[in-house]
Amino acid sequence: MTADTTSASGFLPRAGFQQLIDLLAEGGRTVIGPTVADGAIVYGEVRSVADLPRGVGSEQAPGRFRLVDHADERYFAYAVGPTSWKRFVFPPTLTLAESHRDEHGHVSFGPARKEIPSLAFLGVRACEIAAMGIEDRVFLGGPYTDEDYRRRRAQALVIAVQCAEPGGTCFCTSMGTGPGIRGGHDISLVELDDGFIVTAGSEAGAAIVGRLALEETTADQVMAGADQLAAARERIGDPVVTAGLHDRLLAKLDSPHWAEIAERCLACTNCTAACPTCFCTSVSQRSDLDGHAATTERQWDFCFTKGFSAVALGGNFRPRVQDRYRQWLTHKFATWIDQFGTSGCVGCGRCITWCPVGIDVREELDRIAPPPEVIAGDGHAAEARAPRTSVFRVESVRRETHDTVTLALSTEATPDWEQSRGEFVMVSVPAVGSIPISISRRLPTGMELTVRGVGPASTILTGLEHGAEVGLSAPLGHGWPVPAAEDHDIVIVGGGMGFPPLRPVVDEILSHRGRFGDVHIYHGARTPGDLLYKEELAAWAAQGDLDVGVTVDRADATWLGRVGVVTQLFDQARWDGSKAIAFVCGPERMIQATVGTLGSHGITQDRIFISMERHMECGVGLCGHCQVGPFFVCKDGPVFSLAQLGDVFGREGI
Amino acid sequence: MARAGSTPHPRLAVVKLASCDGCQLMLLNLEDALLEIAERIDIVEFPEATTHHSSGPYDVVLVEGSVSTPEQLEQIHEIRREAKHLVTIGACATAGGIQAMRNWANHEAFRAAVYAHPEYVESLATAQPVADYVKVDAELRGCPIDAGQLMEFVTALLTGRRPNLPDEAVCAACKRAGRVCVMVAKGIPCLGPVTMTGCGALCPGFDRGCYGCFGPREQANAPSLSRQFVEMGRTPAEAGRFFAGFTGYAEPFRTVLTELGGVPGTTAIASAGPADRDHSATGASPRAGGK
Amino acid sequence: MPQTESSTPRTEHDAEFVALLNATWFGANLPPETQVRLAALSRRYQAPAGTTLLTEGQLANELGIVLSGRVSLRTLVPEQGWITILTVEPGDIFGQSALVPPYRSTSTVVALQPVDVLAMDGPGLRAALSADHDLAAVLYPRVLQALARRLNATRLQMLDLFAR
Ligand SMILES: Cc1cc2nc3c(=O)[nH]c(=O)nc-3n(C[C@H](O)[C@H](O)[C@H](O)COP(=O)(O)OP(=O)(O)OC[C@H]3O[C@@H](n4cnc5c(N)ncnc54)[C@H](O)[C@@H]3O)c2cc1C
Ligand code: SF4
Ligand code: SF4
Ligand code: FES
Repeated sequence: MTADTTSASGFLPRAGFQQLIDLLAEGGRTVIGPTVADGAIVYGEVRSVADLPRGVGSEQAPGRFRLVDHADERYFAYAVGPTSWKRFVFPPTLTLAESHRDEHGHVSFGPARKEIPSLAFLGVRACEIAAMGIEDRVFLGGPYTDEDYRRRRAQALVIAVQCAEPGGTCFCTSMGTGPGIRGGHDISLVELDDGFIVTAGSEAGAAIVGRLALEETTADQVMAGADQLAAARERIGDPVVTAGLHDRLLAKLDSPHWAEIAERCLACTNCTAACPTCFCTSVSQRSDLDGHAATTERQWDFCFTKGFSAVALGGNFRPRVQDRYRQWLTHKFATWIDQFGTSGCVGCGRCITWCPVGIDVREELDRIAPPPEVIAGDGHAAEARAPRTSVFRVESVRRETHDTVTLALSTEATPDWEQSRGEFVMVSVPAVGSIPISISRRLPTGMELTVRGVGPASTILTGLEHGAEVGLSAPLGHGWPVPAAEDHDIVIVGGGMGFPPLRPVVDEILSHRGRFGDVHIYHGARTPGDLLYKEELAAWAAQGDLDVGVTVDRADATWLGRVGVVTQLFDQARWDGSKAIAFVCGPERMIQATVGTLGSHGITQDRIFISMERHMECGVGLCGHCQVGPFFVCKDGPVFSLAQLGDVFGREGI
Repeated sequence: MARAGSTPHPRLAVVKLASCDGCQLMLLNLEDALLEIAERIDIVEFPEATTHHSSGPYDVVLVEGSVSTPEQLEQIHEIRREAKHLVTIGACATAGGIQAMRNWANHEAFRAAVYAHPEYVESLATAQPVADYVKVDAELRGCPIDAGQLMEFVTALLTGRRPNLPDEAVCAACKRAGRVCVMVAKGIPCLGPVTMTGCGALCPGFDRGCYGCFGPREQANAPSLSRQFVEMGRTPAEAGRFFAGFTGYAEPFRTVLTELGGVPGTTAIASAGPADRDHSATGASPRAGGK
Repeated sequence: MPQTESSTPRTEHDAEFVALLNATWFGANLPPETQVRLAALSRRYQAPAGTTLLTEGQLANELGIVLSGRVSLRTLVPEQGWITILTVEPGDIFGQSALVPPYRSTSTVVALQPVDVLAMDGPGLRAALSADHDLAAVLYPRVLQALARRLNATRLQMLDLFAR
């Protein structure tokens, strides 16, 4: 907000308020503001002052909200209700994209065409402005942006109202977000009994304020405004001690308290739904009966559900309510800071009021983190950085095992990602879904993907034939730091479907073999029939300058190779790990066992890199599913050093 | 996609056990879509729509109703053998339904009280959900089932994706729809937090608490919710009774309502808890004969 | 044990066998006098692929160290036939039942490749271990290590990590 706005200020008598609403509505803008509905203050369309909650306040406590009558005429004498503005910039359900597939199997992908409504938000509180600033960082601040959010946010006018009537669950004072307004608005209002002190906060705001029939603001009015703000602050107090909260919360990951909260918590998702900053989403497919025309639908999702952290074949990283509650609370108050440089909580109290069993985070947090910097986002990202889906064609199919194939895919479009070190792509099958698959080889005009059919989308991929088309994103995530491993010995350990992402590492080493020391490649699979890249492994072994070990967990009498778990390939090996760098991928439990064995060879945690599996929906750090402690596996990983993961690695329910 | 367009149409059968046919009617209610579906799926057995009977095997069998008679018990095992995918539809098939309320009662006494000649009425001691007897591959919940979910199931079947049938609470849909929580704002007890989503949070939209007709969701914390009902001023028995609807026989609703004394009809027929499960198909409850 | 026992091999046979031991994971870095003791108890044999070296339930007369080649530990599972539980690679031991009552093999051991084996006489080794506590004190930890490693591996195998 750079405009000179100091001149646009004055006092708007109560009788003139309709004029403000009318000016906001000019040019087809819809004004959204507080209304009384269903026993609460709900944000909805406001056409006239009659729609506003005149003389209506709220009484709030954990698990309890009641409307109360005020003796006065004020429109904004309530504390925030269940709605937050996020539903207008980040709608609960949204059609994201369209895909088509014709009879010949040609596929196409495109964004859903939609009109972005022009909105004015009337009655935004300081805590809510802070929440918008946080959402700006989430959706606009990362490597990829949320295009829909960007457009909705950019056109919305923010008319802030100074808080005079805090509720019984507010704690913005503790979170450093309110009650005073400190930027991030187009116009700010201080409501007094007979009218409003109006101040422009942006050029767009000034243009409107300049047209209002304003009176000169008197010193008494300014004093009255300041007094009621001070009184509000006083009433809220400072209920949450935030100093050191981040560290103290993360030090309590093993506290028995989580299980105690889970006795009460319903995992009902009300807290996250009410929260103005929770941003997680899931996508699903909708289509006609033949799957020819499909849309990708996105909706709010919540870390309290089972499906949120589920992966294929019944796996789940957060099976218990205590895991889910811990994820929510530690994310809000601690790991959010690591991810976005600010707490994820603004202290609006919604999660306390709207929890049906009245779980009170102020009580649950008996510790403190540094107050977040107040961030007044302006809703502008430098540019749209949306992941694009390109059509790739299957050039060849090689069957690896009974349920796994390697597809060679190419595209006509010149890939703009040749230089990318991304580790995986999101593969889109129209009408079915979009799933993360590792790049198992880089090709001049495309890539190879090795896919195991474990569910609908992956099984369809394993059935593709030459010429079939699918949609691929650009390579995503941080891949293996192979260049940094030059001059070192290399240990590569791939278990089962963990081997495909490591194959490009072998390729890269082989293309510059002289730059690396000893190279050990270990692959373990369930049975001989599950081994991948058998011929390649044999060729690598025959090459002479690679140490290749292969083992299976179970074998019949016809198998003449090694039987045993993958760690047995090298637990007695004589090599010295002090100059080695290890790259490991496989099921998490296998990685744990491998890491222990690597450690006993003297490979330190900063030299062990692993690739993690998590439930992924977006692949670009916007949907929230893949979080592990402070990390988004999709964008910060999936490759991490063990040192980077710290005690997050191997922890139950994380 | 090089997926086969020439594969034969999936064969689907609809089978009815102890139920009111309401769920089958939802299929007929798909109206226009039903014709399109019929062009792509062979609907080979459907008591509500045809009298034509054919035999298995079937790709999908939709089973409506609970297992209440020895004959149905036999039937369900037969269906299981014939069905590649057995899908239960509605509260009766998935949770026992309203007729499962009799499971708390003294079966013989109940029969004697209701029927003039109880000896002619063959029934098992309890009405049980299908999954108590055979493996179930998928469930469409609700009383009746939701047309949108049914359509989603059929579309997913035809396009080869996993049907999007979320296991979250009713509350999640309630909040996406922008409804105001009736528990918090009005003090109305609501089963939404412990009930499987799928109805689009209908009842809270009409200013009523959820009745739980979609049954318990995973991790349903019924004890905590019942404590909250008591906190809100209900007696324990009243709090328990909220769980005694169409899906009251499903755990953990069953335990909560039994422990809190919310069993329906407790004044009329003495009961201590759900009757013991009886798989013997004789209809004779081990606890029968009292009075 | 006689205190006069030397830590330098006295015969050519012993010298060769100490060298062989040193080249294995199991035998390397044992005190020289232990290696000499073991060498004296050992014989060496070769067997072609497919040879059954030990049979489940039969007396295990020797503790073997694989010098080269690969042997499999197998068990017969009804309806599945012979299942290889584990393979033993060069440097590692098999036939440890020779040390554990009732000295009967718990699996059938079959050479998967032509094998070269250093085999220690079971009864002789047991006598030496019970008489010479210094020998026992260095050898048993090695045996334990081999067994613990196998136990860990078996546990991971049981988890069937790649099934999901
Ligand atoms: C970074 C990364 C790389 C991967 N690389 C490969 C690979 O190279 N080859 C391969 O075969 N598989 C790989 N996977 C696993 C693959 O993504 C899953 O097998 C796939 O998502 C299953 O989808 P489905 O529709 O076939 O089955 P479903 O049973 O429908 O899958 C389960 C559901 O969970 C969701 N899901 C989200 N993330 C995951 C996940 N990580 N694992 C499983 N389910 C998930 C899916 O969207 C789906 O809705 C990778 C996963 C990740 C995270
Ligand atoms: S904390 Fe409260 S609102 Fe949040 S999931 Fe648990 S019970 Fe629901
Ligand atoms: S009204 Fe019922 S379903 Fe809706 S949020 Fe409240 S408790 Fe959940
Ligand atoms: S944030 Fe969406 S997959 Fe990582």
